[in-house]
Amino acid sequence: MDPAPAVEPVIKQITQESINRYAEATGDYNPIHVDEAYARSTPFGGTIAHGMLVLAAISEMMACAFGQDWLASGRLKVRFKGPARPGDTVTAQATPRAARAGGQGGVLEYAVECRNQRGETLISGTAEVRVPSGESAGRE
Amino acid sequence: MTTPSRTNIAALPRGHRFPAATFRMSQEGVGRYLDAVQDRSAAYGEAAPPLAVAALALRALLERLELPAGSLHAAQEVECRAAGPLDAELTMRGEVAQRSERGGFVASVIEFEVVPADSLGEPVLVGRTTVMAPRPAEG
Repeated sequence: MDPAPAVEPVIKQITQESINRYAEATGDYNPIHVDEAYARSTPFGGTIAHGMLVLAAISEMMACAFGQDWLASGRLKVRFKGPARPGDTVTAQATPRAARAGGQGGVLEYAVECRNQRGETLISGTAEVRVPSGESAGRE
Repeated sequence: MTTPSRTNIAALPRGHRFPAATFRMSQEGVGRYLDAVQDRSAAYGEAAPPLAVAALALRALLERLELPAGSLHAAQEVECRAAGPLDAELTMRGEVAQRSERGGFVASVIEFEVVPADSLGEPVLVGRTTVMAPRPAEG
């Protein structure tokens, strides 16, 4: 197989409003995310975004690149390395790694990460997607 | 073992199984999720984003689980087995697969799977969530 194709990065703005909306959508009202007074008393010094909110940028990036293949066969394995805060700009990006044969097609592997505007790593890990033979990123 | 209402995650032993929780993957719920994560991609069509499935499954779990103040989401694994269906009932099953203590924190790894509620057949999605929570006071 050819090497895994390049994938376009995704950039997101984190705001307290988006954090609050995520809490409402998922029911995760951990005060570190939504209670500014509480969050100021913690080592973080203020509210932070849900890890899954930030991780969503990586999944969106892969969904844009691989469409239904990502939705039906995508794999993510990540660690949350640092907090995203309101006002942060988060960039999700993928570095192509191996492509290997698997089943009737192939499996594309990427190192994935999210960084903030200061270049600090917020999330790092790997993503894999199973694609039919001959399919490349950007096609669905 | 079963879970009483709102159990502190750090108090659950390895091997603890959560009661199956059923939730609806509604268009409206997915819309709220996509709005919150600012995802306007056209990739989903009639499917739900994988992390929306995972997030709403974990929501069903959180309704029975207390995450004490100071808890942190340390790691996440998600594996899609099929596109997440919209306007469908899904059932989440999970257990505490690993538990360890370090310093004043308990690391709990929850393995879960999401299956169609009407068939309880092959999973739509499986995952592993690692949560670090303050160790509960003894006694």
